[in-house]
Amino acid sequence: MDRLAYLLEGLTVRRVIAVTVICVAATAVTVGFFSNTFLDLLVSALCVGYTTMVLFTIAGNLRVTWPNSVARQMLAVVVGSFLGTILAGLVKGRGIGAMFTERLAGVSITMGLGIGFGCVAVAGYVLREKHARDEARLHRAEAERQQREKNILEAKLQLMQAQVEPHFLFNTLANVQHLVETDPPAASRMLDSLIKYLRAALPQMRESATTLGRELEMARAFLEIHRIRMGTRLDFSIEAPPHLLGVSFPPMMLLSLVENALKHGVDPCCECSSVAIRAVHTGGRLAVSVADTGEGIVPKKGGGIGLANIRERLKALHGHEARLLLEENNPRGVVASIEIPLADSAVEAPALVKAA
Amino acid sequence: MACKAVIADDEPLLRAQLRSRLERLWPDLQVVHEMGTGRDVEQVLDAHAPDLFFLDIHMPGVNGLEAARRIGSRAHIVFVTAFDQYAVEAFERGAIDYVLKPFNEERLATTVSRVRERMGAAPQSLDSLVEQLAERLGGGGRPQEHLRWIKASVGPQVRLIPVEEVLFFQSDEKYTRVVTCDGEALIRKPIRELLDELDPARFWQIHRATIVNVDHIAGVRRGLKDQAELSVKGHSQTLTVSRAFTHLFKQM
Repeated sequence: MDRLAYLLEGLTVRRVIAVTVICVAATAVTVGFFSNTFLDLLVSALCVGYTTMVLFTIAGNLRVTWPNSVARQMLAVVVGSFLGTILAGLVKGRGIGAMFTERLAGVSITMGLGIGFGCVAVAGYVLREKHARDEARLHRAEAERQQREKNILEAKLQLMQAQVEPHFLFNTLANVQHLVETDPPAASRMLDSLIKYLRAALPQMRESATTLGRELEMARAFLEIHRIRMGTRLDFSIEAPPHLLGVSFPPMMLLSLVENALKHGVDPCCECSSVAIRAVHTGGRLAVSVADTGEGIVPKKGGGIGLANIRERLKALHGHEARLLLEENNPRGVVASIEIPLADSAVEAPALVKAA
Repeated sequence: MACKAVIADDEPLLRAQLRSRLERLWPDLQVVHEMGTGRDVEQVLDAHAPDLFFLDIHMPGVNGLEAARRIGSRAHIVFVTAFDQYAVEAFERGAIDYVLKPFNEERLATTVSRVRERMGAAPQSLDSLVEQLAERLGGGGRPQEHLRWIKASVGPQVRLIPVEEVLFFQSDEKYTRVVTCDGEALIRKPIRELLDELDPARFWQIHRATIVNVDHIAGVRRGLKDQAELSVKGHSQTLTVSRAFTHLFKQM
């Protein structure tokens, strides 16, 4: 019995009351056209109404794929009206035989009315259901939008709170300290790079809008510092056509990729590794990639926190048109690239830059 | 008798700096070897039999803490670090000698005089402290129990996908589909093996052929024949939850 209980799911008190109200209303509307008493008609209406209601509920809950639920429910209205009319006859003490002979006209009318009112009721029900579904979908879309906004805000907050690592700062200063004594020109160069980096990386000095050129300069300063510090273990190159330097580019993303390349690629690796930054513009897209020849990704090691932040911000800025892609480098290491839409018209013609 | 020391730091300039400072502060000290990683610490111990190690905590390959563990009580140890609140606190508590970068002449002198006093006694093993520190500092870098990255071939490239990005895995005859917001890729690893390697708190099997990322589930509704239909955020495909797994979604 319990296994069949689901068939009656949805048969609520509310539904029973609604059907009762419809039956009373239908009786009141039609009583003027017949010689029957109000009560007599109401009994017929309720018999048809309740029978149809039960069949309708079962039809909606049946777990079959064909026919679809609306067709099943319509069928339930027809069958329900027929069975309900017979039930009404039985309740009133009439023989089944009589119903199909001398009382056929009355029976047909009751059935017809049942089907008519039933269809109206079902149509009303289906519309309300659809409305509720639309409402729910709207609600879900709204919730998703809010979640997305929250993520964007969090990503922004994280970006603002991103600090210059004290570890990096002190290690760099220790190097400068030594160079001041042994190789003052080199010390001065390293300080230059440090200043350039800090100007862009300190949250207070960070600008919200920046260009690819500026971001590349910051990455260069950062890599320069690391090249001095790591000695022969690091080599790097930056390749970007001059006409792309002026285009706008989201701040701190490139640096995050470079930091990742150093921290997860070059640093754990004892041999010499290189970092290559490349910017290319093809087919209305700007792709900036950071390739390292370091340790590569270890499948069970984490380290994607900065990456999630970049993804979130890219989505906020450009939707699905932008992406962050990570691939294995050949023969070793990782290539991380950021692709954003960039209209051809947004780029100055190379010739103009040359002339300037 | 002259004391023999080894300096281990991955930054060559900082090794040179420490060496020149030590020459001034401790003329008797003989720096017999320099190294950029703790990897070869055993060979260095055998070859040079040093009395003292200056170990930078952060080094590639084998870091300073691991190197200290390998040295055990075979030599005295002075840790070198740039900035590490945890480490410094632990050193203070454990009365361990350490040097901070950038080097401060006076501080270095104090440390040197302390170490010189200690050199007469037998070196003690720092195992328990090293253990403690390794746990606090090294936790993030060590491989974890669960799969964090999926490597999938896309054309000639091997795409690297963080598992957080994966919406669901679904087996597709010979391959397994890895579906993300941005698209999908194929891998050869079967669902069964993935299930063993993924974090079970985040990835649920909902069907013989499907594993879903719980973080991306949008909703579940009852389907046909005791099954359920699961929808995923940011993807149009609905996934079937087979009867054996519908209990995962029963109301609380």
